[in-house]
Amino acid sequence: MGLRDDLERYREVGEQRRQDLAEFIQYGDLGRSRADSVQIPIKIIDLPEFAYDQRDQGGVGQGEGAEEGDPVGQPEPGDGDEDGDPGEESGDHEYYEMDPEEFAQELDEQLGLDLDPKGKKVIEEKEGDFTDITRTGPSSTLDFERLFKEGLKRKMAMDFDEEYVREALKIDGWGPATVYEWARGENIPVSRAWIEDTYADIPSEERASYPDQEAFEDAVEMESTAKRIRREGVDQIPFRREDERYRYPEIVEEREKNVVVVNIRDVSGSMRQKKRELVERTFTPLDWYLTGKYDNAEFVYIAHDAEAWQVEREEFFGIRSGGGTRISSAYELAAQILEEQYPWSEWNRYVFAAGDSENSSNDTEDHVIPMMEEIPANLHAYVETQPSGNAINATHAEEVERHFRGADNVAVAYVTGPDDVVDAIYEILSTEEDDS
Amino acid sequence: MIDDRIAAQRIAAELEEPVEEAGNLAEKLGLTAYPVNYWIVDYDEMNELIAYGGFQDRYPHWRWGMQYDRQQKQGQFLGGKAFEIVNNDNPAHAFLQESNSMADQKAVITHVEAHSDFFANNEWFGLFTDRETAPGERSEVHPLEGPDAAGMLARHAETIREIMADPDVDRAEVEKWIDHVLCLEDNIDQHVPYEPVEPEAEAAELDTADVDEQLDELDLSEEVRRQVFDEEWIDSQGEGDGPVSFPDEPQKDVIGFLLKHGKQYDDDAEKAVEMTDWQREILEILRREAYYFAPQKMTKVMNEGWASYWESVMMVDEGFAGDDEFVTYADHMSRVLGSGGLNPYKLGLELWQYIENSENRREVVERLLRVEGIAWRNFHETVDFEAIQATLEPPAWLVDVPGHLDDIDPEDPRVDADGLAAARDGEFDVEAYPWKVLTYEGLCERHYSLVRPQNRGFLARVSPEELERVSRYMFDDERYDSVDAALADVEYTRGWDRMREIRQSHNDVTFIDAFLTQEFVDDNDYFTYEYAHKSGDYRVSSTDYEDVKKKLMLQFTNFGKPTVVVEDGNFDNAGELLLAHQYNGVALDIGQAKETLKRVFELWGRPVNLLTIVKEYDEHDLEVARRRDREPEATEVGKRIRYDGEAVTITDVPWEAVEHLAATDVDYDTTPEEWLA
Repeated sequence: MGLRDDLERYREVGEQRRQDLAEFIQYGDLGRSRADSVQIPIKIIDLPEFAYDQRDQGGVGQGEGAEEGDPVGQPEPGDGDEDGDPGEESGDHEYYEMDPEEFAQELDEQLGLDLDPKGKKVIEEKEGDFTDITRTGPSSTLDFERLFKEGLKRKMAMDFDEEYVREALKIDGWGPATVYEWARGENIPVSRAWIEDTYADIPSEERASYPDQEAFEDAVEMESTAKRIRREGVDQIPFRREDERYRYPEIVEEREKNVVVVNIRDVSGSMRQKKRELVERTFTPLDWYLTGKYDNAEFVYIAHDAEAWQVEREEFFGIRSGGGTRISSAYELAAQILEEQYPWSEWNRYVFAAGDSENSSNDTEDHVIPMMEEIPANLHAYVETQPSGNAINATHAEEVERHFRGADNVAVAYVTGPDDVVDAIYEILSTEEDDS
Repeated sequence: MIDDRIAAQRIAAELEEPVEEAGNLAEKLGLTAYPVNYWIVDYDEMNELIAYGGFQDRYPHWRWGMQYDRQQKQGQFLGGKAFEIVNNDNPAHAFLQESNSMADQKAVITHVEAHSDFFANNEWFGLFTDRETAPGERSEVHPLEGPDAAGMLARHAETIREIMADPDVDRAEVEKWIDHVLCLEDNIDQHVPYEPVEPEAEAAELDTADVDEQLDELDLSEEVRRQVFDEEWIDSQGEGDGPVSFPDEPQKDVIGFLLKHGKQYDDDAEKAVEMTDWQREILEILRREAYYFAPQKMTKVMNEGWASYWESVMMVDEGFAGDDEFVTYADHMSRVLGSGGLNPYKLGLELWQYIENSENRREVVERLLRVEGIAWRNFHETVDFEAIQATLEPPAWLVDVPGHLDDIDPEDPRVDADGLAAARDGEFDVEAYPWKVLTYEGLCERHYSLVRPQNRGFLARVSPEELERVSRYMFDDERYDSVDAALADVEYTRGWDRMREIRQSHNDVTFIDAFLTQEFVDDNDYFTYEYAHKSGDYRVSSTDYEDVKKKLMLQFTNFGKPTVVVEDGNFDNAGELLLAHQYNGVALDIGQAKETLKRVFELWGRPVNLLTIVKEYDEHDLEVARRRDREPEATEVGKRIRYDGEAVTITDVPWEAVEHLAATDVDYDTTPEEWLA
């Protein structure tokens, strides 16, 4: 069908025009995407044409009671770009849908990240290949090759040049005791009983065939086992029960790559619109990334001022409250939630906090830092969103950074505007990467 | 697969009767449509058809894929219903979606019949088909007349597929070439009939080539050749005396011009070379398609409104939707018409209804003004509108045909005697098809617009100005001695007759220009908006009909695109192309213009230029305006945008160079005076 082709070609064209991911994270409209599907705008999918400047064109609308001067809203939705050259960005935006896996992969490529998620909780034991072995089992699973090899080894270990030892018994003056001692010295695996039996069989006239050891050594040479087997063949392999091994399927432990991400946000009065947006811009791609990286991702959203409480994602980025700030309140709640629901033995944990670095006095040093040390996690991060640079008493980020300098599971990032977001994300994600 | 076919057959069988009767009804109502072939398709096929613009076979291109993708996503939100698709062809082909309800199917069928009538009658469609006159009756629709669209598009598709399959041609190059041409899709001269362009072998080119050859024979050193016989000299040899400018008149058909005079840029040779055959072929194909689709773009409002109007007459007024189907139909209508923004369906439907009402009103007013004692000055005091309204009501037998079957007079001009006889013999179900008993005149009176509940006040709202205007051209103004005598002569057919005339000769621009009045704008709450610099958003600027009209005209004139013409094919005497934007007060989107120029370069092979006028705002003025909460005044400046294959440059040009482009008689700006600083 021709249309399949056309659709295919369209996807290719769209792929080439997908908005650069970094640009999207910094300035794009994140609100269109859902947790399970990231919507990346595709730039100018329509062909250019001679067209009017939309702004200059104005238009006609329909609605009761319209009065001169009433705002009519954006007549052409979808083109949120207000500044800049209208033409470059105009046209309907199409959206390219990415699932979080693809998003994570794409981000890995663009930022040069390579975070390898760790498996934690055992969710399943299943039979793998028959690579494990046991001493008993049904005969069909008997590892005969191994049995044979072991037998062969055993034979070679037990085997010795009987002729040679027999000749040694013919040395004048050597009796079974002397030969045994000599054989031990020569590392010939021969038993005392065998020597005695053989000696008894040797006619007495032959018992002094060689005047001394030197004459014996001149006359007879020991032949190695390997050489003899090659010459004579293996007539009998001593199979022993103890050499029997039965193949057995390996038990594979499927470990699910579980992750819980705790997003903590300061919602106190000082966190104005701009700061909130920067938090959202930083946290949202992190959430997508981790969702894409792990089999199972869960999110905990904690809002705090002087108190902390858990909220749903929908409210998380919008909340504003009055009140002061005590960051440790959020860590207390996080510790409690993690302890109860997400045991460290089963879950990878990421604890991301964001705010403008303002905190009540000594809270950072006395409470937050100890708790960050106490809560086991793959990564703790603090994102400072301070669009106007640093406020004087906003030192939380610095204190944390100073304390944990060199630690491989604590990251601190500073975001003063959308431009910094990608760097912050890199800073955070690459910190954990060092660890693995 | 077999199940599908059976399902389709079952649906087809069910639809046979509605299709036939809709055709009959349309004919009774005065429509003269191309015959329509209906096809039952499933949801996916429907989406494909929509993506392909209503046809089954189009040339390979990614944009169909894009439209398909869009259509599918839209379907997800709108509940997967694609309602109506009919193509302009003779016979027209319409597609019905298997999963539609019966009510929807009937709505589509009635809608489609009206579209087909529009295709067959509107003169703008005739430009492509070389139609001399519109058919007077359905039987006059010539079977061989028409655009042969499905066949033409399939042949185009075949040709382009063949080009792509040619091992000597790079498929990617073909796709790019198509993209370039499509950027100029709307740059044709849609107001003249389509004519194929024959590329001309340029005499000048040949001469130049000769000179080149002769120089080669002279065996001059490269040095001498470059010094003495430089390119300028060679060019001047080829052209005789003086720089040659062409075309003589600015040419609106940019694609046609490029087809005739354009070249391609050869990257390896780094110069313009002749287009290949396949390149010319594709240019012509896409140009022909642009001309074929142009009338549809030029009559969107009229055509959609026309179809919605007759759909509503047939479905609601004539009860074509069964009682049980009516609710779904009403739901469907509200969804189609209520889809926000400026909706061409809605604007069109409202305008047609307004035309019907005002034409009928004019008829009544003209009759009444001929009554002794009634003049435009005393009209509103003298005339009892309630009584008139009652008199104009159709008689009971016209409203309830089945209930009066035995009393109906076969001699009445409003009665179709054959139909009446057949109904009396029980040959058809008169409950379902009462209109079969009536003639066109009968149906006109039965559906007379002025007596409809929603139009009750319309007659009384006639303005003194209109009354004066009507009476000014009236001679025997004392013909009737009573109102009743005057009303007895009222031609109920006048509204529909006039509507058919209009659908024949107008396009959206003339339609809106002619029929949009203050009354219409007030009744339907239209307004204009402009961008306000001070607040950085769009604000309502006017509810005056002249302003609304201006803005609508801007939106529909030349497909809503700025007019760009070829001014010179030998600009600067250097073989450069000079395009000019005929400025009407609304500036170009410069970003897009630059990108489009890059595409034009590919089709010209040499540097391309575009003259335009832009609005510039002085920083100081902006600041002052902002402080005073006023709009800044822009300065209009001439610019020339040039693309030479490597970079776009924009240079200021003196006003004299663009003065001829600035329209003095049109101004589409509706920003109120008092907004200005």
